[in-house]
Amino acid sequence: MSSKRSLDPRLIIARRDLTSLSREKTIVLALLIQLFVAAFSSFLVVGLTSLYDPSSVDSGGIEIGVTGEAKQDLFEAVAETEGVQPIPFESLDATQRAFDQGRVDAYLDGSYVRPIDGDGRVVQVTATAPDSSIRTTLVVVQLRKVLKTLERQERLERADSLDSLPLPLPPETDASPYFSFTYTVLIPLLLFLPSFISGSVAVDTVTEEIERGTLELLRVAPVSLVDIVDGKSLAMIALAPAQGALWLLLLSLNGITVANPVALLVLVGATAGIVVVFGVVLGLQLGRRRPAQLLYSILTLVVFGAAVLLPEHPSTTAAKLAVDSPTLLTYGHVAGYVGVAVVLFVLTRRYVDRIQPEALS
Amino acid sequence: MNPRKLLRIAKWEVTKNAGGVDKRTVAIMGLSVVAMVLVAGLAASGGATGLDSGLYRVGVDETSPYYAPAAEDPAFIVQEPNPTAVERGNQELLFDGIELENRPRTTKEQAALSEFRASVDGYNSQLMSEDDNQTAAYPVSVSLVYLEQGGVTETIQTGGSDDGTGDGATAGGSDTGATAGGSGDGANAGAGTGETGGAGDSDTGALGGLGAGLTGGSTSGTPGDIQPPFPFESLVLAFLFIVPMNFVIQAYGSTMLSERLNRRGELLLVSPVSRFDIIAGKTLPYFLGAMGVVTAITLGLRLSGLTAGGGPIAVLAILPLALLFLSATFCGAMFARSFKELTFVTVTVTVSLTSYAFIPAIFTDVNPIALISPLTIVVRDLQAQTVTAGDFAFSTAPATLSALVLFALGAGLYREEDMFTQRSIPMKVLDSLSTQISSKWSALKLSMLLLPGVVVAELAGIALLFALPVAISIPLILTVVVVVEEVAKSVHVSAGFSSGRYDRSVRTALTVGALSGAGFFIAEKSILVFQFLNPGLREIPTGQAGLLGGLVPEGVPLAVVALILFLLPLALHAVTATVSALGARRSRRAYLLAVLAAMAIHFAYNYTVVVTLVQ
Repeated sequence: MSSKRSLDPRLIIARRDLTSLSREKTIVLALLIQLFVAAFSSFLVVGLTSLYDPSSVDSGGIEIGVTGEAKQDLFEAVAETEGVQPIPFESLDATQRAFDQGRVDAYLDGSYVRPIDGDGRVVQVTATAPDSSIRTTLVVVQLRKVLKTLERQERLERADSLDSLPLPLPPETDASPYFSFTYTVLIPLLLFLPSFISGSVAVDTVTEEIERGTLELLRVAPVSLVDIVDGKSLAMIALAPAQGALWLLLLSLNGITVANPVALLVLVGATAGIVVVFGVVLGLQLGRRRPAQLLYSILTLVVFGAAVLLPEHPSTTAAKLAVDSPTLLTYGHVAGYVGVAVVLFVLTRRYVDRIQPEALS
Repeated sequence: MNPRKLLRIAKWEVTKNAGGVDKRTVAIMGLSVVAMVLVAGLAASGGATGLDSGLYRVGVDETSPYYAPAAEDPAFIVQEPNPTAVERGNQELLFDGIELENRPRTTKEQAALSEFRASVDGYNSQLMSEDDNQTAAYPVSVSLVYLEQGGVTETIQTGGSDDGTGDGATAGGSDTGATAGGSGDGANAGAGTGETGGAGDSDTGALGGLGAGLTGGSTSGTPGDIQPPFPFESLVLAFLFIVPMNFVIQAYGSTMLSERLNRRGELLLVSPVSRFDIIAGKTLPYFLGAMGVVTAITLGLRLSGLTAGGGPIAVLAILPLALLFLSATFCGAMFARSFKELTFVTVTVTVSLTSYAFIPAIFTDVNPIALISPLTIVVRDLQAQTVTAGDFAFSTAPATLSALVLFALGAGLYREEDMFTQRSIPMKVLDSLSTQISSKWSALKLSMLLLPGVVVAELAGIALLFALPVAISIPLILTVVVVVEEVAKSVHVSAGFSSGRYDRSVRTALTVGALSGAGFFIAEKSILVFQFLNPGLREIPTGQAGLLGGLVPEGVPLAVVALILFLLPLALHAVTATVSALGARRSRRAYLLAVLAAMAIHFAYNYTVVVTLVQ
């Protein structure tokens, strides 16, 4: 008995809330959801980039028919672009036939015209791409590249008439198209989702006790309302970094290196602290789930959106930490969130202390 | 069902709601919605820096021509060139003049270089637009035309060398399909940095060129203006329509679950109204609310000129989605045992339905896949494209039917025994099914009822897997199909046996199994109608594997076709369902084993058909 009593009642309540989650296997559901989100986002990005990526098409590149007066210029521009092959045609008719039969994926018909305003000549190109095919996007991306090459060549020929020449482009690399997405969208999403869910569950656990009337039973036990709220918040706050850690582990197993894991988990813990405190206060204030949850989700979205006013948005902070480009400002933000979380927590405890538990029901 | 009672319950739900939410909450809610709009406006007005700001560090001297583009792109932090910093991994790119001094080795450095290339390109466009001599600055003028290719079937397989797949489906001939749509040659003002931003939340650029970029119709301008028909706008729109649903289902889920707390719902249950009146009445306000918001958004988009079209069709296409959201939440609220669980259920509903609506809609330009999601219809209607009745039916019917089935299953639990007790989830699933059973013929009915769910699950599987290479995707999709179909055919039979609605004789098992298989077969043949509505689905190999029903190999006599189309699948479904039923008759464990056996039979059959007949 004495050993039981020595345990902090807050810990007991926290453990009770956590075990109820695990017993109901809801936590499994939560992890499944997040797995689904991750799979969904990576599917999204893989699907989208495969629309753009020429190497995803096995048929050995895209063949572009070139014809018209400016055939020579077009031919050179196509030849200079990677992943596309030029096929010259004598007449527009022949090109159109070849396109219709699928022998070329797209064609360019170029001619020289005088611009309406001013003198000199410009190359007038009519580019034709296949309509509503899975290759359309890819073909258009390649056409854009070809035409930009043509534009650059033509600009160089007109260098004398230009105030300043366009800068030469740095060399091309075969960078992973998913890189930026992984760090700026996927990782922040995976890290902040547990926090938001924790906050939402905090609303539930408070309102449920009030709506079911079980809070009174807890009150009969030798614990104060502050202890109850403490325990419930701590359980939910602890949950978020645990899930975040799981994610970082999974990502690293997938070959995605995430730098500064400790700072990231602190960030997750701090945001979880902020939203959980917020959820608890809403739950105590409103006492019923429907309005409390609605307000929680709307206000969290507003606050998260309004965070763009900060020098660094939380998701940018997470991205910079994960990609290992943190600045002093980034660490400053993390410290700031921790500070805000602690202050809010302390204020909430004071607020709870002044609440008459009998008034809740 | 009694409309008057239904309406009274609906009215009561609304007034009780207004009483339950006090004025202060309403005021805060109103203020926060205003704040949300303000925040969105702020983000849209460019007050927000990009998501990738400060991601890469580039060492470039102030004298270098590359200094300006690096300094202008928020993705880069400009530093003094420092070789030791590069070695330590604290600087990704190092330029001397315009010479790249370090060889990018890590993925981060490569990504930085490719990003930098894009921002130099963007800088060049800006430079050129400021040039006095615009003819020299823009020496190439392009007009982009989209033309349908005749004789080329849309396959995801490599090239078009084999024209074995149904060439009768696409009408040959080259009609110029230059789609109608606002040709936005004027909307190129802000098209400076085309590549940057990537997957960022750059709603601004997206919405700016909405009319032009969305349709991918003919556009003209300089090469830099060419926008690939990437339906990013449709994704933004998708969120616009889906987000309100989440708030609605949150409130709806709360109200449904709170009926179950402290036996509150008992009062309604004992009153002289049917449970369908109660459910419909309590759902109606939320459904109307969701549709009202959707209508407002559509009107707003239309009137503000952001989209070219948008009208009743868009709103009607959202209707099944709204129903699906509500029905899934209703089911969830009936199953959940606490608020905490309901939160997770709601999130699951949100995530899975959003992706169902979302993933196919990304491929707006690829007909058959895109139409799986009703959002595609919405996007097309907003673009003022025509939507055929067949397309509309194809994309909305499965969702509508699934929603109705979910409501029916949830309604099975809307009774005292299930609402106010803490039963385990599997028991509740069995309850929700077994309450629908009245005789052996119910097996037929239930197999048919579950089919919309099966179709949605299979279509979702196709949508998820079709991007994979055919060699992997076909076996995977076959597995998904087999598992989904066998579970759907047998789970209600098992429920019937365990609840004692069927007696545990072999005779009953045989009858029920055969009926279940037959019901499934009848319903499955209705997929043929869907395929008829959307011939494109046949052209995608994955689609073929999934919806095996409509396979008609060429050059096979009609009698054989009839045999293959009708008798074989009927026999298959009846046999596998009977196998499961025989297992279900004995015990839970025997049922699981029997279902596995049924799956194996089904898989072997499907695999043989696909391998022998398709190739």
